[in-house]
Amino acid sequence: MSTVVTSSPTEKMIFHTSRPSFIGMLRGELFKISHQWITWVLLVLLSGVIALPYIITLTVPDVKDVINHTPLLFLTNRMTQNLAVLRVFIGIFLLVLTASVVGLEYQLGTIRVLLSRGVGRLQLLAAKLTAVVIIALTVFVVGILYNIILMSALLLIMVGNVHAYNAITPAFWTEAQQYILTVLISMGATILLATAASVVGRSLTFGLSLALAWFPIDNIGTIFLYLAYRLTHSDFWLNVSAYLLGPNLNVMPKALITSAKTEVFTIGAQPFVAVDGAHTLWVTLVYSLIFATVAIILTWRRDVQE
Amino acid sequence: MVDKVITVPAMNIPPMDTGDVVLRTTNLTKQYGKRIVVNNLNLEVNRGEIMGFLGPNGAGKTTTIRMALGLIAPTAGSVEILGQDVDSHGARILPRVGALVETPALYLYMSGRNNLRAVASVLGGVPASRIDAVLELVGLRYRQKDRVRTYSLGMKQRLGVAMALLQDPDLLILDEPANGLDPAGIVEMRDLMHRLTSEGKTVFISSHLLPEVQQICTRVAIINLGKLVKVSTIEELISGHGEFAVTVERTADAVALVKAQPWGKDAHLDNHGALITKAPGQRGRDLNLFLVNAGFVPETITQSTQDLERVFLELTNSGTGEIQ
Repeated sequence: MSTVVTSSPTEKMIFHTSRPSFIGMLRGELFKISHQWITWVLLVLLSGVIALPYIITLTVPDVKDVINHTPLLFLTNRMTQNLAVLRVFIGIFLLVLTASVVGLEYQLGTIRVLLSRGVGRLQLLAAKLTAVVIIALTVFVVGILYNIILMSALLLIMVGNVHAYNAITPAFWTEAQQYILTVLISMGATILLATAASVVGRSLTFGLSLALAWFPIDNIGTIFLYLAYRLTHSDFWLNVSAYLLGPNLNVMPKALITSAKTEVFTIGAQPFVAVDGAHTLWVTLVYSLIFATVAIILTWRRDVQE
Repeated sequence: MVDKVITVPAMNIPPMDTGDVVLRTTNLTKQYGKRIVVNNLNLEVNRGEIMGFLGPNGAGKTTTIRMALGLIAPTAGSVEILGQDVDSHGARILPRVGALVETPALYLYMSGRNNLRAVASVLGGVPASRIDAVLELVGLRYRQKDRVRTYSLGMKQRLGVAMALLQDPDLLILDEPANGLDPAGIVEMRDLMHRLTSEGKTVFISSHLLPEVQQICTRVAIINLGKLVKVSTIEELISGHGEFAVTVERTADAVALVKAQPWGKDAHLDNHGALITKAPGQRGRDLNLFLVNAGFVPETITQSTQDLERVFLELTNSGTGEIQ
């Protein structure tokens, strides 16, 4: 410990006029995320999962005929299936990413380093969420482009050309846009869920556990609701399923894309009663508002004991 | 330190506080349910001093420090730093405070240098040269690229101090900064504290190591059960209340004689058999003269001092040997 302690007057003046800024916080969050190996491992796994359906398709015997005879049907089915896969696995990626961005700061105690320097609590939370949203959108866009590349490769391998794209109609694009919108809504709800869980538990372990357990519990819960219905013959249990977040997110593409000529592919349990697009949007909005409110109030009001 | 001069508009420069009190708590109170952790604490830390903050486990030291740093909201009372209320002007004033609270909190998955870069990025206005300087200052430059996970506790502690010094703070609040440091590291830390204060900085330090506190601090504040029990300079605290220790033959007779004097009512023998007493006119020379005239020739007369640890235990009624 043998060097100068104090900075030059010019530097000191800069230090004393500098304030923690939102952009600085955002840069800091992106810097930290880029240095977490879990981020990169998950991205590699995500790219593998996205590629998996294409590899399976290669092994299906009559794909070549389907592409040649009903290219639009093939592309529409592939589009909804690939977006459904992307929705589920990008969701898992976001649960882990958000929990580590928010929860790890509490778990390591570094939250007190930042807050004790005058960093605003809500400003820091907003910077963290913005960083996650930036990464989420980047991964989503790259995921879409990756899907297009894989689809083109599949077409080239199976039929030797990409002429199937010529069959695409404006209705296809409308359907794709609507499905993409549901994926983005699902991503937003997922980020808020993981944020609330991490803030409540003030740790990565708790946040990650609760966030990752939420959707499986939500989906498996429908089985128990159905059992309750069978035992009691009361419609109440079936109606409850219409208010669970997971099933609503699962059925959202089907409920919103009403103009689809073929079955819209989705993954996961769905409500036992018919719900329309507006209902799924309202339920998701209410859950999201609750998650956001919990995260904001606890971040703002609670003492930092870490 | 900087290779170019950057002009900062004068209107952006916050007014410098010219007062002598850098940290002031006023009736600071923190209550959890019925348990009062900090009770009407009134404390002042003056510019340029190293103030020790002592108290037994659970006395409320860390809670006080957390309230000072805006991490915990006080139930009542206030904290001012550099004349500004922390609650209402935290964003403005806390960047001028460097803090190390309890164990160093670090991003274990990053290198030492990247830890500083991450924090510097959030704080703003910290050039790479300053990161180099603080790494050099705490002796971690040679390990700056290694992951913090591989650091020893002492190295993590040093990195925590480096983090606290990033923005060249006016006030440094350190909670157990010598934790995990080897003897050489403790000496270096002591040296660093002295250099900081010689450059006009103020240090508020909580430590387990009472001998260290005795060597480093100019004043100490002792807290027990959330209440301030003593604020004093080290000299006053260990001075033994102006008493002298006298080794003399026939001590029992000497004690009886001294006790009969108006200035010697509190005379007593210590554990080593020495006569502990005040002196006439508070002068050792006069005490010597008195004893010689009375037929007692002292072998030694020394200013009675007390061990800081003993004073601490007496003030906090701990007596358990468990000190913090």
